[in-house]
Amino acid sequence: MNAHDSMSDTDVLNAARDSLSGMPVASPPDVEMIMARGRARRHRRRLVPGVTGMLAVAAGAALAVTTLAPASHQAAPPAGGRQRAAHLAAWTVTELADGNISVTIRELKDPAGLQSTLRADGVPASVTFAGQLNPACRPYPGGTIPWPPQRPTPLLRQVFPKPYGVLPPSADPSPGRSQAPGHGSPPPATPAPGRTVIVIARSALPGHAGVQIAATHGAGWIGPVRVVYASPQCTSS
Amino acid sequence: MAGGSGNPARAYADRRAGELTVVSNERAEFADFFRTGWEPCLRAVLAVVGSQQLAEDQVAEAFVRAWASWRKVRSHPAPRAWVVRTALNAGASWWRQRSRELPLAGHDLTAPGDPSEGLDASLLAALRHLSLRQREVIALRIFLDLDTDAIARQLGIEAGTVRMHLSRGVTALRRELTCTNDHGG
Repeated sequence: MNAHDSMSDTDVLNAARDSLSGMPVASPPDVEMIMARGRARRHRRRLVPGVTGMLAVAAGAALAVTTLAPASHQAAPPAGGRQRAAHLAAWTVTELADGNISVTIRELKDPAGLQSTLRADGVPASVTFAGQLNPACRPYPGGTIPWPPQRPTPLLRQVFPKPYGVLPPSADPSPGRSQAPGHGSPPPATPAPGRTVIVIARSALPGHAGVQIAATHGAGWIGPVRVVYASPQCTSS
Repeated sequence: MAGGSGNPARAYADRRAGELTVVSNERAEFADFFRTGWEPCLRAVLAVVGSQQLAEDQVAEAFVRAWASWRKVRSHPAPRAWVVRTALNAGASWWRQRSRELPLAGHDLTAPGDPSEGLDASLLAALRHLSLRQREVIALRIFLDLDTDAIARQLGIEAGTVRMHLSRGVTALRRELTCTNDHGG
């Protein structure tokens, strides 16, 4: 016989409540920050019905501009239009019509250049391509995927609004060199063009926060992407 | 005759002042709701998801949405329950979407074991063995003091179903607590 055996339903519920109520929990975040995010959300909601068509047109225009004149956001020497398909940059940073930043990584080259380009576009970033995270970076609360369960946090979903990862083979300009994406894929000696795309919502980054990208050749060479505290040691900002 | 037709500028100023007062009142109202509701909502979500970090993020996101729709939420019969439900839905919907999309590299995960430290171990073990619905029902009951009908409305299920989940959840909780107690000496 155990003390719990004689507990009524109410006793069990009370015991559960007392136990959980006794544990320390985080103090609430700043209400002003919550309200600011709420306002931004309300604003976005109002924008959506009226400007969806306009955004589509603008996105098309942005794509055309990117294709024809990729000037300041190219790591490799600028290449225009059709030439771009033949001589792809190691990576490309593009500002989308909605203000988000799109990063396409084709080769693991010049992480410092990518880092400084992102910073110039208003995204404090730490970029490494060796699969090693910069140890000076401190994860921002909610900026990493908890384990368990493996669910990205709301902050991650806001900062990275689209799942980042390998493009489907049909999106590759040279499908002959593409490899099957995902876990278990052999590391490609030369990643196929257009392999990894990361979309970053600058406006969703909290103050004093940046992103950390550590692309690696393993597991389809999609590295960890997380939100970290911006600092001179981590993001050089 | 009362009214502002005689002085449009004054009428506009009065109307604008009235609007600002409403906004100011709403801000104060929400700030109070947030201050008093954060902890019970967080504990309720924590009891369901079992992860401190995840619960904090989801509850913060739910309060963001509450402020974005404050005029609707403030007239809700149980605003805190709205927050909890929204927090739980936010996590679930993303997970459903994500599970159909690209896998993540395993090294993007934090080390196991860091969340939920401080949570009573036996209770955590007991909660883990309950179904999601049982945890939701229990969390809404013990942290938000909702009765069966209110829980049913929040979860969109029948009151009888709530009673069933509550009964089974409590039974399982009691059994788990008993087992834990026995093993713990």
